[in-house]
Amino acid sequence: MKNVKIAEIPSIEIDPITLDIIEGALKNARHEMDAVLFRTAMSPVIREQHDEFPMITDPKGRMVVGQFGSYINEMMETWDETIEEGDVILTSDPYKCGGAISHINDWLVLVPIFFDGELVGWSSMFGHQMDAGGPLAGSLPTGAKTVFGEGLRIPPIKVYKKGKPVEDVIGLILNNVRMPEMSKADLMGIIAGCRTAENRVKAICKRFGKDTYLAACQAMLQRTYNAMAQLIVQNIPEEPQSFEDWIDDDGLGHGPFKMKLTIWREGEHAYFDWSGTDHQAMGPVNFFLNEEMFKMFIGVYLIMVFDPQILFNDGFYPLLHVVIPDGSLLHPRFPSALGCRTHALTRLFDVLGGTLARKAPEYTTAAGYGTSPYMLYSGWDGDGDFFYLMEISYGGIPGRPIGDGMDGHSWWPLFENIPTEYLESYYPIRVDGYTTVKDSGGAGLHRGGNGIEKRYVYLEPGEVSIHDDRWLTYPWGILGGTPGARSEKILKRADGTEERLPSKCDEVVVKPGDMLIYRTAGGGGWKDPLDRAAKLVEGDVAKGLISADKAKNEYGVVVGDGAATEALRAKMRAERPVVKDFDMGPSLEEILARCEEETGLPAPVLQAPLPWAKMESAEDALKRVRDQDKR
Amino acid sequence: MSYRLGVDVGGTFTDLMLVRNEDGASNRVKTPSTPADPSQGVLVGVKRILEESGASPNEVVSIMHGTTVATNAVLESKGARVGLITTEGFGQILHLARSQTPGPLAGWMIMIKPDPPAALEDTREAHERMSAKGEVVKPVDPEQIKKIVTDLVESGTESLTVSLINSFANDAHEREIGRIIQELYPGFPVTLSSDVLPEFREYERTLTACMNSYVRPKVGGYLRNLSASLAEQGVAGALNILRSDAGLMTSEVTQEKPVYAILSGPAGGVAGALEVAKRAGYPDILVFDMGGTSTDVALCQNGQPGLARETELGHFRVKVPSVNVHSVGAGGGSIAHVPEITKALRVGPDSAGADPGPACYGKGGTAPAVSDANVVVGHLPPRLLGGEMVLDVDAAKTAVATIGDALGLDVYQAAAGILDIVNENMAGALRLVSVQRGYDPRDFALVAFGGAGPMHANAVAKLMGSFPVIVPPAPGVLCAEGDLVADFREEFSRTFIRTVESVETGEIVDILTGLGKEATAWLEREGIKQDRRELAYNVDLRYYRQGYEIPVEVSLADLTEGSKELLVQRFNELHEQYYGYRMEGTACEIVNLRAVGVGKVPEPPVREASAAESADASAAVVDEHKIYRKGEWIPTKIYDRGRLKTGNRVSGPAIITEFDSTTVVLPGFTAEIDRFANILINPDSSREE
Repeated sequence: MKNVKIAEIPSIEIDPITLDIIEGALKNARHEMDAVLFRTAMSPVIREQHDEFPMITDPKGRMVVGQFGSYINEMMETWDETIEEGDVILTSDPYKCGGAISHINDWLVLVPIFFDGELVGWSSMFGHQMDAGGPLAGSLPTGAKTVFGEGLRIPPIKVYKKGKPVEDVIGLILNNVRMPEMSKADLMGIIAGCRTAENRVKAICKRFGKDTYLAACQAMLQRTYNAMAQLIVQNIPEEPQSFEDWIDDDGLGHGPFKMKLTIWREGEHAYFDWSGTDHQAMGPVNFFLNEEMFKMFIGVYLIMVFDPQILFNDGFYPLLHVVIPDGSLLHPRFPSALGCRTHALTRLFDVLGGTLARKAPEYTTAAGYGTSPYMLYSGWDGDGDFFYLMEISYGGIPGRPIGDGMDGHSWWPLFENIPTEYLESYYPIRVDGYTTVKDSGGAGLHRGGNGIEKRYVYLEPGEVSIHDDRWLTYPWGILGGTPGARSEKILKRADGTEERLPSKCDEVVVKPGDMLIYRTAGGGGWKDPLDRAAKLVEGDVAKGLISADKAKNEYGVVVGDGAATEALRAKMRAERPVVKDFDMGPSLEEILARCEEETGLPAPVLQAPLPWAKMESAEDALKRVRDQDKR
Repeated sequence: MSYRLGVDVGGTFTDLMLVRNEDGASNRVKTPSTPADPSQGVLVGVKRILEESGASPNEVVSIMHGTTVATNAVLESKGARVGLITTEGFGQILHLARSQTPGPLAGWMIMIKPDPPAALEDTREAHERMSAKGEVVKPVDPEQIKKIVTDLVESGTESLTVSLINSFANDAHEREIGRIIQELYPGFPVTLSSDVLPEFREYERTLTACMNSYVRPKVGGYLRNLSASLAEQGVAGALNILRSDAGLMTSEVTQEKPVYAILSGPAGGVAGALEVAKRAGYPDILVFDMGGTSTDVALCQNGQPGLARETELGHFRVKVPSVNVHSVGAGGGSIAHVPEITKALRVGPDSAGADPGPACYGKGGTAPAVSDANVVVGHLPPRLLGGEMVLDVDAAKTAVATIGDALGLDVYQAAAGILDIVNENMAGALRLVSVQRGYDPRDFALVAFGGAGPMHANAVAKLMGSFPVIVPPAPGVLCAEGDLVADFREEFSRTFIRTVESVETGEIVDILTGLGKEATAWLEREGIKQDRRELAYNVDLRYYRQGYEIPVEVSLADLTEGSKELLVQRFNELHEQYYGYRMEGTACEIVNLRAVGVGKVPEPPVREASAAESADASAAVVDEHKIYRKGEWIPTKIYDRGRLKTGNRVSGPAIITEFDSTTVVLPGFTAEIDRFANILINPDSSREE
């Protein structure tokens, strides 16, 4: 950065009351960012579904409040222009911000916050654009082999200079997307959200003094550091623990791809090592995982599991060390395709949960529907107008220590479904039904949630894309809980024929009257289903959430007959094998062998490493991280 | 003589106010509430207020009533067993809700999902379908409907809701099913979603309609009881209920659509505060109602309460027009604590409740509550005027000291810290209803009431820059005041999703005119005289494909003389005010058209106090005290509010006590008594200007 006076963080003591007041004010500001964007955005993905993430940082770019990691330092290292008050920087290039955003659909906005001529922090926010150019509406081609096949890649660039829009840059960008007006509204909404935070931070500086504000930020980071140090020592064992899981395929017929995590602790420092994860994929399912972002995930996860009261921020990052081999699925080399990274992104939490569960199983949950399922539909209607819909679906939330997993709910925070009446008012579509899939939740003391079944009837000719996972491997159950059911997609043609569609596909041509049955995966169960109160199981049957058969076969409950239930449960307890810590369903070999027969789809095949993307060895990767930390 | 009676039933007190229509003479009575059957408390109060005023029961011509019966039924999950009939394929509509889980990431781990107002077991799917354009895709099958209705009623549901997909576009199927139910079970309570909320978004509409069914039997029973008992006492006047949007509706309409009264209580508070402020000459106010466990805040401009199209109740977002009240779970009874792991000072959400209450109540409470902090710094004197209770200062100090120990502060610093945090939380709530919606709080006065409001108001107003602080007489409960001045109100709306450019101005005018006629017919039915009727029109607008609308007010005349462009222009202005930018040139979309019928209730004449002889308030001093401020103890006089006269001035620091509240005036501020016996607090500097 040129000619920027970055505010020094003063080493002054701050009284605890002022600190708490500033903390509260920053939390409010962060929620205001959301509120402003929701109310002004146009694309349903942001507006109705809330696919967006805000944050506010200190002058060093460390997140003080918000929900994504710090990447600003990394990005500013290569920024050789000025940064001035009123500037707004936009980027959508994962390779230019160290993976802070992980596909080109996420438009990331950065607003510097100045007070008395000094940079006191940044506000930043990114949101998922419905379309970001490229060959297919939605910019998520399942067949892309490089990032060039996905869409427009915006390098970090100013879209406002000193408060004035840079019209030619904005024009260039909007010229490359399918719905420029919508993209503009969403971009302006994101900027408005960031500006709100900017104004709030300035007001706090004015009220308390800049030094007090900066000292408060420092103290908040320190507070989280201290809290997290305790959590780490209490919950992460010194002895290495590993867990592995898979994403099913890469959209090109390759798979499954293994994700493996090993964690251990050295003093109050924890290591999270992804060595053993498969090499990168040819298809777009690679997930460029930013190390700092992953630290944030770990932190949020630990906080939610062990102490939800802690204010979440970057303060604890120095305590965590993340090892990701270059050339792996989680650190693909440029210019790998990244569009469909959502499966690996979600699986990462399953793996993280599974690894931590080895030490504290009582606290952790089973696996959920395990991705972010999309349905895209585009075409030209009878009047010749282009239409394009992207909808995010949800599925079974896993069984949890606190209770059952929710049926058909969002694993992602604050996301919402699109009302059927909205879909039908704006798109040539009719929703024949929107419900949950009976019996798709894994059995457990706390059962896994059911997946969703949504039946779309298309009313105009068009093309459909599907993005989903967990059609092959199962969302696992934990501590005796059984796995959730897998996802599936069935296309019922208007002429009565029926076909299975892969979980990742594009350009499926549909005609009026064709119906897509879109089923997402269920969640795994938590603890022993035979211990679930018979009354609750009978209630689930009465509600139509599980069948009487499942009640009998997996819960040992004979509906309406207490004596038979007791007898059956005793028999099942006596006859069953040892209760497994993790129930992943059948072995991978069996799953692959029976794939075609069970799913109607050919089994994926293992993919050879890409010659141009050699994978770093586990030893080298660990050494690289240790060397970095020494510096 | 004729009288009107305002009655408000709060959690602790039932507040009654009787006003003589001829000269505005008023009486006020507070009696303990009787939660088991709230009508009992009301009756006791009515008896007393009639005795004290000397009015005879048959002189009470109208009764305006704010009630929390519906609110409590929801909050305590004590409503009816509701049967829901919805469209085939959508039986899990309430179960799926909006599929939302809370933030941040992994927030789902700690989410507690509430039971919906209609259980899945009590939901049935009707074989029918309407398109979003209102065309029949599949007609209703009467035989199938008879089967599911019989099934629901015979299985023991107490109240039915019919909510079908796209009924906002065409309600014919809902009406048909409604008719079938009435044929099978005449008189059975049925709510049609298109009657309660004829707007699009099926989950919100279904939830709101089910909420209506959920509270309906309880509210109906209560109102019938109350009417009967009032009649027994010879009170013949019509019973009217305060709606959530601070309008009135008759007891009969309330029994059909009780969900419209779901926030009746807080609406009364806002209306009361507004009435007091308008009288005192301040039409722009922030409402600050701080009680024991929670605080309600709201913003009113130009003498009108801000209205929201939806409100949050318990875990649910109910879509009925409501006074835009924001509630925070903190009040005088909120407990301060320091979590081990972060060492931060937090206040709430736990509350000391009424029993044992804060430590200073001396009933065995040991946790440090906000009231204890007020005692420690001297804001709450140990002996309250008119109160029988003597506060236990030592117990308060012991409790607050635990916070001090955890933070390394002395007990006074800790107490001051607790108050700073609470005041900041309150300011945060006020900022949400002002700054965040584009209003500058410095343009607003702050009306403080509730048990703890007047004690914190000066400090909160200082943070907001909102002056004067207005503390009305008897500020413990203001709601009855609001009930008395409310007008009859009803909305008639139609969802009409079209871009502005695709419709003719005449089309908009025609629809609004039609809705206006419905409103007029309603005013007619309610027996409201011609000269007391008012009609307002608004159009919900947004940029094409945005998800949220902004209501734009418009008159039919402006629209007829001007054009539809007027709507776009006003919408752009509002959008800029709320969100800081406009998108000139982007297509605007109409979502709902609405006519609001208002039947004005004549305002009672107001009695003003006689002018003061002097500013000297020394006659009202009853005690000497001191308060803690930044490490020092400052001598502070205690005044008896009952002895303060119009024009009296009291310089801060000062404490003004009365039977249900204590007002704190901080150093650097001066309180003055106005003609209506309100306390107005202003910063000293403004006097010099």
